[in-house]
Amino acid sequence: MKGSDTEVNLAVNLAEKFTEEDPDFSIAISGGGSGLGITSLLNGQADIANSSRPLSEKEQQQFKEKNIALKTVVFAEDATAFVVHKDLPIEEIEVETLGEILSGSITNWSELTEANFPINIYGRQSSSGTHSFIKKKLAIEFSNTAKEMTGNAQIIEGVKADRTGIGYVGAGYVAHDPVASQGIKVLKIVERRGEKAISPLDQEAINQRNYFFQRPLYQFVLAESWEKVRPFIAFERSAVGKKLIEDHGYYILNKQSDEI
Amino acid sequence: MKYKTRLSLDILFKIVFKGTGLLVLALLGGILAMLVYNSFSFFMDVKPLDFITGMEWSPTAAIPKYGMLPLVLSTTLVTFGAMFIAIPLGIGTAAYIAEYASPRVKNLLKPAIEMLAAVPSVVIGFLGIVVLSPGIADLADLSNGLNALNGAILLAVMALPTIITIAEDAIHAVPKTYKEASYAMGATKWQTLRKIIIPAAAPGIIAAVMLGVGRAIGETMTVLMATGNASILPTSMFDSVKTMTATIAIEMGEVPYQTTHYFALYAIATVLFLMTLAANMLGEYFINRFRKYHAV
Repeated sequence: MKGSDTEVNLAVNLAEKFTEEDPDFSIAISGGGSGLGITSLLNGQADIANSSRPLSEKEQQQFKEKNIALKTVVFAEDATAFVVHKDLPIEEIEVETLGEILSGSITNWSELTEANFPINIYGRQSSSGTHSFIKKKLAIEFSNTAKEMTGNAQIIEGVKADRTGIGYVGAGYVAHDPVASQGIKVLKIVERRGEKAISPLDQEAINQRNYFFQRPLYQFVLAESWEKVRPFIAFERSAVGKKLIEDHGYYILNKQSDEI
Repeated sequence: MKYKTRLSLDILFKIVFKGTGLLVLALLGGILAMLVYNSFSFFMDVKPLDFITGMEWSPTAAIPKYGMLPLVLSTTLVTFGAMFIAIPLGIGTAAYIAEYASPRVKNLLKPAIEMLAAVPSVVIGFLGIVVLSPGIADLADLSNGLNALNGAILLAVMALPTIITIAEDAIHAVPKTYKEASYAMGATKWQTLRKIIIPAAAPGIIAAVMLGVGRAIGETMTVLMATGNASILPTSMFDSVKTMTATIAIEMGEVPYQTTHYFALYAIATVLFLMTLAANMLGEYFINRFRKYHAV
């Protein structure tokens, strides 16, 4: 199983719990980004790809050309949180403003708050599903000055140390680990001016799909490996699996498309 | 052993050793061939001039831009910064070990330098993020320390052992007669060092520097972690930079195979290969000059 760094910690825990129940089942997990996971499926190096984004058109084309059939499983819902340093005087932000910050049109915090600092963006590399998700949701191109960090932890550490920084991480990372969330602040998102500000840590809002940066987390399975991985997918759907997913800060919606 | 057996054993080993030597050449040639072949595929899509002089590297933008100038400039900036720090430190330490140090200090210092070379590059990168970055941010009153200066300092630390070892060999190899003649004229140790020994050891010292440069250009993990990876044209040492090595490392994982972006990374790798090759060949040239000289 290869792919998304957003999902990798959860996948490792699920695998560990599963192999306790079924010691004969062997599974190896690695991260590297959603793009890497999908490429591994194309090259026959993995059976399951964890992906925090759907397949792009180019990728669908490549799968068709190679005659590889896939099954798609939605196994959790994820929210992306925008974090800033805890001392920055801002609590909520509009989607449009966020777009302008990340594309480089707004370059100084003084345009939004009383603080006067240039804005430092901490982002992910272009292989990250989180990166492509934000790009598509905000319909922007990332500014060239955005720093590319290699993972959620690095972004959080960067923002903790930098009082002018803004970064995006999986909400699970911040919600699940109290140590990680000291020193940073999660911004509430306002979709349009005048609407209510919603925080990704609010379970109710997520359940009703109200948070703007919410997305399903996919697992793409090679059709020919489906029988092999079926027990593991069934485990993810079981009560134990669901609890583990929720403990990680992801959300299970009540009606999710199963393909078991 | 019978004569025939000895003869055939001799011929056998000649073939085996010839084989291993040719294998090394084949490996190098194979790597170069693969790089060049894939780069050709890239230059069919993008004009070489655009690649060499383009000021923007955004391969995943709506209109992809494949300009390598920011990357090459970033690598050059970080390498020069590293050499600026490492050359005086390295030559100074080498001179100290060769000329001034007592045997006890020498026995302590030389293994310590070897051990510095053995520290893995990820560990140094990690130290860069955790220790050096806040330090730089405090000293220079910046918001964070993930910039070219951070990378330069870390690369200097990594290139130092190479420079020190080779420069020390070069200084040590200057014939004693030179030193004795200089002292006989009444020169002090420092005057001798400055005006006689170091100029005499110059080819070896230049070789040391060139090999240090080669090391610094090719370093990946350290710069990936410590320089912030913002693909802009660097304007100062306090800017976040994205070196060629970090670009390849951070983007190779995603890129769908056989696309223009994929071939672009190969083109960067080819440029990197040629730069490192040039630095190492210059180093070899100077080492040969110093060896010929040393055989006096």
